[in-house]
Amino acid sequence: MELAVWVIILPLLTGFLLGISKLYFNKILFPLVMSSAIIYLYLLILVIQNSNPPKLYSIGNWGLLGINLMVDPFSSMFLLIIAILFISVIVFSMKYIKMNKHKYFIFTYLMIAGIAGMVLTADLFNLYVFLEVSSMSSYALSAFKKTDKGIEGTFKYLIMSTFGSFFILLATILTYYLTGTLNIAEVSLGFQDIPFMIKSMLMCLFVFGYVIKIGLVPMHAWLPDAYEDSPIPYNVFSSGLVMKSAIYALIRVLYIIFGIEFLSESGILNIFVYWGVITFIISHFLAFQQSNLIRLLAYSSIAQIGYIIVGLFVGSEKGLIGGSFHILNHAIMKGALFLVVGIFYYSLKSVKIEDIKEMGYKYPIISFIFVINALAIVGLPPFNGFMSKWLIVEAALESGFVYPAFFILVGTFLSLTYYLKVIIKLYTKTEEKIITKVPLALKIPTIFVGSLCIVFGIVPSLPLSLINNIPKFLLDNSEYVRILLGG
Amino acid sequence: MIRINEMFKKLYKISLVVLLAIFLLYVFNEIHDLASKSYLSEHYISKGVQETGAINLVTSVLYDYRSFDTLGEATVILTASAILAFLVPLRKVAMHGTKFLIIVHQTMIFIVPYLAVLGSYLILFGHLNPGGGFVGGVVLALIPIVMTITYCIEFSEYKFKPNIKTLLEDLGSICFIILGLFGIVTGSNFLASGQSNLGLGNPGELISGGLILCLNIIIGIKVGAGMAKIFNSLIKGE
Repeated sequence: MELAVWVIILPLLTGFLLGISKLYFNKILFPLVMSSAIIYLYLLILVIQNSNPPKLYSIGNWGLLGINLMVDPFSSMFLLIIAILFISVIVFSMKYIKMNKHKYFIFTYLMIAGIAGMVLTADLFNLYVFLEVSSMSSYALSAFKKTDKGIEGTFKYLIMSTFGSFFILLATILTYYLTGTLNIAEVSLGFQDIPFMIKSMLMCLFVFGYVIKIGLVPMHAWLPDAYEDSPIPYNVFSSGLVMKSAIYALIRVLYIIFGIEFLSESGILNIFVYWGVITFIISHFLAFQQSNLIRLLAYSSIAQIGYIIVGLFVGSEKGLIGGSFHILNHAIMKGALFLVVGIFYYSLKSVKIEDIKEMGYKYPIISFIFVINALAIVGLPPFNGFMSKWLIVEAALESGFVYPAFFILVGTFLSLTYYLKVIIKLYTKTEEKIITKVPLALKIPTIFVGSLCIVFGIVPSLPLSLINNIPKFLLDNSEYVRILLGG
Repeated sequence: MIRINEMFKKLYKISLVVLLAIFLLYVFNEIHDLASKSYLSEHYISKGVQETGAINLVTSVLYDYRSFDTLGEATVILTASAILAFLVPLRKVAMHGTKFLIIVHQTMIFIVPYLAVLGSYLILFGHLNPGGGFVGGVVLALIPIVMTITYCIEFSEYKFKPNIKTLLEDLGSICFIILGLFGIVTGSNFLASGQSNLGLGNPGELISGGLILCLNIIIGIKVGAGMAKIFNSLIKGE
């Protein structure tokens, strides 16, 4: 499919053009960014529509000798997340970012290009290269405000993330040494006659590398620090796309290269399910103690990642559907919450929970969006978070994980407590205070992203028609391998 | 009590490193015994010259078989230099050790042309000899770096303006993509060189190898500008 490569090179081109426009044509920032974003949206919709059955695109027409791009339902779901978040956040940050606008948009576009590349590629080393592209821009955006706190958090992020990259690169090199190829399908075939022990060790390296990037509980400490003092529109991308793209890569590597039989044989599925449970229980407790709204949302992100991990590693069709649906839902819900917090920060210059008192009366619609999305992320019906959580619980019960299913309900209760704390503060009356007026360009994207959670809650068949195809190409890797090998 | 705590912390760190070392040693030992497969590299060695037209097989892999990776790596360098230019404070600080004798200053005048020739040679003959865009670009970047060290940062930035470096970097990346689109225009895929109707020429001549020569030049300029920018940003520190 010709269009697949454009999904990667259009944001790259825009980023480079912005670099030149910063030097000589300062005025064309707005038309350039907006027109590129709109074309990109159209492009993404076209690619998503044509994703089933999976399409193959060979860079440089080399076939198996070179790099291939592949669009399958799992990657097109990530393209859908990009499509929803990208246009909204671009419109939002047009007004929100005041300083160094050019640099901000350059890094954002390069980050999106990296994530699109990770999602589309079917080559192990190419996956690593695009992982680095997206991580590099992500570090830059995380330190964007140049405050001491932000730079300290970014430094932690940089060190941990580089540590993870080291393990991923090592595992990629060893895989190439063992199989003599980097194409995911051929690696998958070549792995069939590799001893069990060596496969498990390679899997450990891959898992350890990606888990640092995802931020499961023992390796999560960098995440709230990196979030705390970075521009809020970046946080939307970070929790919605950067963390999720690492999950994508982990799932792709484990399910396609190693295969579901090996995963259940080696017991990694059980380990991941209980790891996910520990992750969300601990991070719910940590989130409860926060007084800073952004740190609270960051810990909540880690917890939701725990649910997603439980769903994706239950190892059944329903679990994959539930986990993938929760990836999409969490990106939308957390995106909307961060955008609302961005508006509060814009008008109050503070993100302390104490300071957002009475905002519910000052901005009724925006606060309503916050309440809806908080309830959705907790998992109350009829919102989208309930749908995906219910699917995950059901899948866990069907696969015999009774205690994880029970703990998901406990976690729901825990998350309700700290979100209620925020909601109560939101509608508490207090003395008059000065607030800056918020322009409409900040409100419209927030309302758009926030209302999607009602739409997807009432009509879940809309995204599920795409997501239902995911297990076909993940659970049984032979279909994916066959298409990638060109047959 | 505090001392015991400190000791425990140290032991913990050392034991982590030792555990990792034992694990990696075990992995490498186990993998070493298996026969490695190399059908891909054998194909590159036996068919590489006729398929890509480049005698230097490293370049043929880097700029033809896996040129998409090179685009990604070039983007990483561009991002790194952009981050450094953005994060490092703009204040200029006097550098240490700028008091060289006149001999050093005069010798620089002779060294710079050699560096320029060596860098361009490595770039232009990248597909024939060991070398290539990345190496040649770094050699070219030595010129502003050497100027910064021997004279001062102002002189180096007067000769090579930071804006021009940024422009070259961005233009280089754009040209890379445009050259890649050339493949689509001629009816093949992105970044195709031999498969599109572009003549590969006779392997061994200067004008041969299809896109590889152009990509080498672009990457050379881009990497050179990026490296010079990174060095100058780093040396400005507090």
